Amino acid sequence: MSGSQQGGSQAGGNKYSEDNLRPVTIKQLLDFQENFPGAEPAIDGQPLSQVTFVGQVRDVKQQATNITYTIDDGTAEIDVKKWIDSEADGNVVIAPDAFVRVWGRLKAVGSKKHLSAQFIRQIEDYNEVSYHMLEVVYVHLYFTKGKQGGGAGAGGAGGGGESMFVDQGYGANDVAMGNTADGNSTLQAKLAMCSKNARTVGNFINTTPGGDEDGVNLHVIAKGTGLSHRDVLNASQELLDQGIIYTTSDEETWAVLLY
Amino acid sequence: MASQPSPSGPRVTCAYLNQYVGKNVTVVGKVVQLLGEQATIDADGIITAFLNREAHLSANSGVQLIGKVNEDFSIRALSAIDLGPGVDYNLANAVVEVAHRFKPIFISEK
Repeated sequence: MSGSQQGGSQAGGNKYSEDNLRPVTIKQLLDFQENFPGAEPAIDGQPLSQVTFVGQVRDVKQQATNITYTIDDGTAEIDVKKWIDSEADGNVVIAPDAFVRVWGRLKAVGSKKHLSAQFIRQIEDYNEVSYHMLEVVYVHLYFTKGKQGGGAGAGGAGGGGESMFVDQGYGANDVAMGNTADGNSTLQAKLAMCSKNARTVGNFINTTPGGDEDGVNLHVIAKGTGLSHRDVLNASQELLDQGIIYTTSDEETWAVLLY
Repeated sequence: MASQPSPSGPRVTCAYLNQYVGKNVTVVGKVVQLLGEQATIDADGIITAFLNREAHLSANSGVQLIGKVNEDFSIRALSAIDLGPGVDYNLANAVVEVAHRFKPIFISEK
């Protein structure tokens, strides 16, 4: 849902606002599809800017202006160029077989890709490697399957499934009603930080007619979302604290704060 | 453009060895026993590994083995790196499971 929206706004958008640091495997970096020649590199439909990965140093070549490491993360190998900064003394050469964390930008010279590293450091704790691999999958799922749904949240099993269904329903409504991508994605980004119930309530208020002005009453929300009054009150308090909604005609009627 | 398979091979645990006979794999596990150049490694199951002389492992520490899977599911290690005592094996095993569920991200089929 958010993937397509961001993809759509990207054409005319300003690149710097989409700068990000994405955890990847080297295989993902080498496999990415180019939709047309000269297209921006993208993984899972998301434009790539900076990436980070972990791997083991297989080969080190020292040159006058840079150190080229061949890094293998168990999925593939790639060359990483670290330019030598003559003014810094942090130009320590990392030995083969060491585990390293790298971040930088993907560059392509002809058909050969390499990474221009901003930063490379040795990993002391192997668990960082495991952690990185799981983070890669988390980010992949985030972009391909949408935001973390109720099922993955802290909620009970039955309620989780139900809330996922409800979320999808509201998502579809957003698109159908033609809500602006900007306002909506800001809201979705904020809601992503909230609990499952708060997301459900926030989405419900947002998609209910009048939810952006007159507000929606507690009873309407409880009936529409199937949550108990107490759950709605707790969720609303959370949304109030986050500055996502505000009270309108009385203490139990809320509207979404739009930007 | 398809990526070249990594020489270190996919991450596996004991349960996946039968899929990779004759191929290189990466195993993260705990060193249970060391007998000369033979080691017993626990990676969600017991694996026998034949080490080379350069390997410096210690019992009860973590190890990352890269090597070829033999017919009897033992591993001829090309490299064995000591990972120290602080390795979270459940986490490492979870990575193996996830890698096999999301093969396009992790595993190049030959």
